[in-house]
Amino acid sequence: MDAISADDLDMLADTLRKTMTASSGQALDKELVELGWREMLEEMSDTAIPLVFRLLGETGAHAPVINDVVLIEAGRGAGETVRLPYVGGTWVVWERADEPTTAVDDETPIHRVSSGEDVPLAAGRRALGWWLVGTSRAMLTLARQHALDRVQFGRPVASFQAVRHRLAETLIAIEGAEATLGAATDDFGSLLAKAAAGQAALTAAKHCQQVLGGIGFTAEHELHQHVKRALLLDGLLGSARELTREAGARLRAKGSAPRLVHL
Amino acid sequence: MNVAEFRSNLCAWLDENDLTPSPDDHSLDAHHAQHSRVLSVLYDAGWMRWGWPESAGGLGGPAILRAVVGEEVVGRGLDEPGPYSMLEVLTPTMIDYARPELAAEMVPLLLSGRETWCQGFSEPGSGSDLASLSTRAEQRGEDWVVNGQKVWTSFAQYATRCILLTRSGPPGIPNHEAITAFFVDMDTPDITVRPLRTMHGVDEFCEVYFDDVVVPADRMLGQPGDGWRLAMDLLPFERSTCFWQRIAYLYSRFDRLIAEVNDRGVQDGADDAALGAAYLGLHTLRCRSRETQYRLGTGTRLGPDTSIDKVLLATAEQRIYDAAHDLLAGAIELDESSWRTEYLYSRAATIYGGTAEIQRNIIARRLLDLGKE
Repeated sequence: MDAISADDLDMLADTLRKTMTASSGQALDKELVELGWREMLEEMSDTAIPLVFRLLGETGAHAPVINDVVLIEAGRGAGETVRLPYVGGTWVVWERADEPTTAVDDETPIHRVSSGEDVPLAAGRRALGWWLVGTSRAMLTLARQHALDRVQFGRPVASFQAVRHRLAETLIAIEGAEATLGAATDDFGSLLAKAAAGQAALTAAKHCQQVLGGIGFTAEHELHQHVKRALLLDGLLGSARELTREAGARLRAKGSAPRLVHL
Repeated sequence: MNVAEFRSNLCAWLDENDLTPSPDDHSLDAHHAQHSRVLSVLYDAGWMRWGWPESAGGLGGPAILRAVVGEEVVGRGLDEPGPYSMLEVLTPTMIDYARPELAAEMVPLLLSGRETWCQGFSEPGSGSDLASLSTRAEQRGEDWVVNGQKVWTSFAQYATRCILLTRSGPPGIPNHEAITAFFVDMDTPDITVRPLRTMHGVDEFCEVYFDDVVVPADRMLGQPGDGWRLAMDLLPFERSTCFWQRIAYLYSRFDRLIAEVNDRGVQDGADDAALGAAYLGLHTLRCRSRETQYRLGTGTRLGPDTSIDKVLLATAEQRIYDAAHDLLAGAIELDESSWRTEYLYSRAATIYGGTAEIQRNIIARRLLDLGKE
């Protein structure tokens, strides 16, 4: 597959969005294969990763495709599973089949395993970063609409500055994380982008939960699924907290702060 | 010439031509003398003229070239970020609003360091609500007569000219249509400049008093009532090319912090977390600002989206100096060093140039479309 035109990309995004709205998990995994996900990943990963993972976040769907990203970067074939590092020096597997899970996000078939082998993580971190940014956008959209619709004291709660500033803070975090993802090419840039995206998602979860008030705490409102997804994904391939500390250790070892992007 | 090639030529030139300031004198007078010296040499060598139109004494080329020059000049510590940043806000204003002959005459004086100019915007009663400013300009014959007081006017004590916002015309005109800008000679009789003492101990901000100050009509910038638009039009420059050199400055200070932390020899995971958090903020800001420079370069009109850049800058700056406070334990409290001055100055990062709260108001209203407060 050669370079893709902007129009074709828009059409593909529409198709993906519809597919992800209709199915999730194992079924979505199969649909993505049919839509050419694995070929796209091998031949134009810089386009495929942001497109697919961001839409997973925005739609709230999930699929075990992080396996493919890590496997391809490791020079192995897509379609299997691979043991992935999780926060705290632990390991997990994201199964390709739908099965019961103890994960906080109870739709995703992730479980602990006792050990794993080092694999390259840069592409996987960028992918999860885009997913976290999509999830953050989904939470912000829900909270923004609620703030405009919900009337208390005779006016929309969006008119209160405390509410407005929480939503503004969320947008700032998301836009900052997107900029780091757009600029991430190497290993360190990808680590930082995952950290920024994880932090943005945790910020979005905190502020959007607060803005949504009581309704956002119920299981009938969809916010909780995004909050739980954000928690789960932040820990995968290194949490914002862990990666930030690792960045600091790297700076001390190097003795200066690398300028990773230039004009 | 592409940008990478331009940068490598500039770096080679700067490596050969040593413009390093004297390490002994940290006074504001010494900074000012160094500012004039560096600009003069860089102007004669052509570097200060790239990215500005030929009609105003420039050599043409995209604005991004100015960001590259600013990054090297400020990042290498050849000039302080404050005085250098003034060029980016004053020059576009003159090019866009002054009579072409006036811009052609004056801009080279600024870019070559022969003159320093200031910006008379804020007033004691008009900070965040700038449009409420009350310094009056009244027409008398061919001239205008100005009365009022400005405050937070950076480097007014060194300035030969001032871009001044005034209120003109009869009462009852809406604020945003009542403001008129002038280009005022600071040696005009009855202008009084008084430096302010500030908490960081550097007297760079001034109060400026105008008592029946006569300004010729041909020194008006734009038309009567254009002043608010002028003030808004300089924001995209303040928050693009201008930010890029401030980011370079922060990276250079952060390098220094890492070195000093390593010199102290005592580290733990909490130190790494603080350094990492400061770096993440700085890297995020740099990635965002790079996108903004590119958008400016393609002719995109920058608007409320630059409020995000402004918040990211203030946040990153304070996080770096918070890290310095925590990791260089006691240095800010007990030792006379630039860390103290810079730490204290960083407290203002969420106040000047539009407070953090104003930025969030703009983001909520204009980017999130949340309606009125």
